[in-house]
Amino acid sequence: MVNSYIPKTYKEALNLLAQNELLIIAGGTDLMVKFKSISGLLPKFKKDMLFISHLAELDFIKKEKNSIHIGANVTLEKVLNSKHTHYLLKKALLIMASPAIRNMGTVGGNIVNASPAGDTLPVLYVLNTKIVVESLDNKRIIPIEDFIVGPSKTILKENELVKEIIIEDKSFDYMVFEKIGTRQADAISKISFAAVTNIKNSNISDFRVSFGAVGPRIVREKELEKKVIGVTIDELNGMCNLICDNYSKFITPIDDQRSSAIYRKKVALNLLEEYIKSIK
Amino acid sequence: MSNISKAIEKVDSEEKMAGKAKYINDISYNDMLFAMTLRASESKAKIIKITYPKIPKGYTIVDYNDIPGKNFVKIIYEDMPIFAKKEINYYGEPILLVVGEDKAIISDIINNIHVTYKVQTPSYELKNSVIYYEFEKGKAKEIFKNAKKIIHFDYSTGYQEHVYIEPQGLIGLYEPDKITIIGSMQCPYYIKNAVMQALNSGEKGVRVKQATTGGAFGGKEEFPSLIACQIAVAVLKIKKPIKLIYDREEDMEFTTKRHPSNIKLQAAIGINNEIQAIKAYVALDSGAYIGLSGVVLQRAMIASSGVYTIDNIEVAGDVYETNTVPNGAFRGFGAPQMMFAIEMFINHIASELKLDPFTLRNKYLAKQGDITSTGGKFRDVIIMDEMIKKVMKMSDYKKKYLKYSKKDNYKGIGMSWFLHGCGFTGSGEQKHIKALVKLRKEKNNFVTILVASVDMGQGIQTTLRKIVANILQIPVKKVIYNNPDTDLVPDSGPTVASRTIMIVGGLVAQAAKLLKEQWIDGKEITIAKRYKQPKHIKWDEENLRGDAYPAYSWGVNVVEVVVNPITYQVELIGIWEVYDVGKAIDERIVLGQAEGGVLQGISYGMLEVMKNVNGRIQQKNITDYIIPTSCDSVNIETVFIDNPYLLGPYGAKGAGELTLIGGAPAVALAIENAINRRVTKIPVTPEYIMELIDYGEN
Repeated sequence: MVNSYIPKTYKEALNLLAQNELLIIAGGTDLMVKFKSISGLLPKFKKDMLFISHLAELDFIKKEKNSIHIGANVTLEKVLNSKHTHYLLKKALLIMASPAIRNMGTVGGNIVNASPAGDTLPVLYVLNTKIVVESLDNKRIIPIEDFIVGPSKTILKENELVKEIIIEDKSFDYMVFEKIGTRQADAISKISFAAVTNIKNSNISDFRVSFGAVGPRIVREKELEKKVIGVTIDELNGMCNLICDNYSKFITPIDDQRSSAIYRKKVALNLLEEYIKSIK
Repeated sequence: MSNISKAIEKVDSEEKMAGKAKYINDISYNDMLFAMTLRASESKAKIIKITYPKIPKGYTIVDYNDIPGKNFVKIIYEDMPIFAKKEINYYGEPILLVVGEDKAIISDIINNIHVTYKVQTPSYELKNSVIYYEFEKGKAKEIFKNAKKIIHFDYSTGYQEHVYIEPQGLIGLYEPDKITIIGSMQCPYYIKNAVMQALNSGEKGVRVKQATTGGAFGGKEEFPSLIACQIAVAVLKIKKPIKLIYDREEDMEFTTKRHPSNIKLQAAIGINNEIQAIKAYVALDSGAYIGLSGVVLQRAMIASSGVYTIDNIEVAGDVYETNTVPNGAFRGFGAPQMMFAIEMFINHIASELKLDPFTLRNKYLAKQGDITSTGGKFRDVIIMDEMIKKVMKMSDYKKKYLKYSKKDNYKGIGMSWFLHGCGFTGSGEQKHIKALVKLRKEKNNFVTILVASVDMGQGIQTTLRKIVANILQIPVKKVIYNNPDTDLVPDSGPTVASRTIMIVGGLVAQAAKLLKEQWIDGKEITIAKRYKQPKHIKWDEENLRGDAYPAYSWGVNVVEVVVNPITYQVELIGIWEVYDVGKAIDERIVLGQAEGGVLQGISYGMLEVMKNVNGRIQQKNITDYIIPTSCDSVNIETVFIDNPYLLGPYGAKGAGELTLIGGAPAVALAIENAINRRVTKIPVTPEYIMELIDYGEN
């Protein structure tokens, strides 16, 4: 049996984390599955639990000058329905899981779960999302690509809690999100793809691409992105094969019960190629 | 009620929608214990030794030593044990039950039982044939010997998992001279007979009661007999109520599935491009035990010319045992595999011969009076012409087919033609089942239907009542039909093979007519009616010759798709279906069968991937095993055309299985049309489509 802690305030939650080794649970849509037991028995949690989904201090969506701040507790459905939510994030949420999961699951949870197939992650990567984590005596603001270090692995410390995420609020001339799932809803991604591009005076001024479910982490290669900054649209199209070749070595999917490595890789590159060709 | 087809409210819809219906997991008893299964962790092995942890008081191990009767689950052959004794033949084979009050402690005991195996080499290839059948119509062998041109294609189909809404589950109850089994099932008397053999008891020693059943699709035909025997043995030993319910993953991993198949088809082509003869060979993977596989093979083989009349046919088939989870009954029962293959094949013959497929198919379409693959006769009117015209008009098939065939636009349309033999294959009804039904008019003038047929969601509780009420001209509310209890109802046979409306419903209708003649207000009257095979139906079980089925239901499906050339994903655009089920007893209920069936068939054809790797099922939950959601479906247009069958109640024939059979070939043909590549296996997944676009033949 494990103990459950239900703090009244955010501060109390940080206090509890400072004193105990706890597993943090918000909507539970990942943890309840991961630790599920045979029917009729309690989940097999290995640590004492800290419940946070009721903490109002983490349930907010705020728009600031160039960014949107989303509290870690905001449910996926609320994010989907907020007028502040970035178009591309909405696109990802619209086809994510099912209404029941979206009503329970949180943005913070989707990030901390750190699945390479996490549906919001490719979008959060291209939108330069930062994760705000706090402990009783410290606060860190970490870019998402540094925060997530592997499948189910983040650099969140035992005494820290994800407080909010900060998403760049920028509009783009070209943006796309594609989820290749096993079916139209309630599906886990075989591949996901997000990309945004801005054009200034017919030159590429901003170019960001990310892939999900094609390796242990979300793939976003800033060095490769830099190579196309400043080129013209025609040049970009001319570089299409080269760009795909460059990305190819970072796309290292596996065979599993949902798809094959060869399919994942080919479709990931098809999506990139199609996206580049769409920039005219 | 002038028109029997006019929909009435389903009698169980209110209690089901309100959540009031009691499924097996909603039922419990004082003192009730739980059971869980210890399963083999090897695919092929001998058990050397089992070491147990200290078993706490109140917890019991139940294994083969506790079986008073035979350690076999009675079905057709004595091959599958109730509990493995020494031999392990598949990963997950049940070895024993742990029974007790607290599931956590049971689970703990199971985790601490250590089985020592002598591991042997398992076989996963189709090498070990355990059943072989063959038959010939006309002079196929001779024609193939002298054939100038032979067209040959190989087809394969994968597993399909039932994913019934409610997993397998039963409760066993103890009385000094009787064991009662209650639960989710299709065939109360199969279970009764199996448990009697396991307990070595007489008729009166075993009682089986159906609980409200949340879907079955064939998966609750023979499988529940296994767990019923296990539970009965446990109840006999412990003398308390015991519940055994599978979790979804356990259910998906270790219960029966649709047989994977390899089908080789050859056509001998004459000088005028005519099909002189067809040669079919079917290989079915039975898994570790035969179970019903031989009968499934027969149905597949009999379907080997599809809806076409081919004068010369040579058919052979094997059931192969492998060290994998046993396969079993599934809606369609061998026909979906073969109907996929033959529908693709006739189109592939057309493309090889550069003929219009529609013209070629039409040329061989069966007509009334034609001889069936087994040398029987299509005795009744066949209205496929009308059905095909109808579906083509509804779907604008011709125009779309021409347009999509010319252009490389990744749009496609496919049409399947199919039939399904209603009732048991061959003389099954007459020789083995011998269905008996009773109607009892109560003193208060209510009428009770006494049959062993179960409602598993397909609506028989409503349709049988409707038949009786309509014949007796009494309100449906005055007809009683409780979930069957073998102590109260006669053996009207299992709820399988699209036989319930046609055979059982037919007997019920005959009994109702007799009752009407003998009706006396206020008096109790019981009418019994036993099945008699129509005299003109002859079947030679040894040689698979004669009339394999008393009647056939027919169907036409059209599916339109668009394939994404970047991601190879298939989007359904439209589904159109036309059926001849004789006469729909309730239009809305048959529509439910039609829409669910066609979607289950299409999904078999494009979505449902299940594989075993080294004998282990890889997709064992509904996250990984993909059945369609409402978002994956599209508008389905369905039409039934009446073609009453003389011996069915109000002309009704089978409907439940038929509706699944055409989905896979229709969607596979649509995808073929869209990508201009030949499809030879299902499911046609995006991964397979990618392969076909890159390397496939057109």
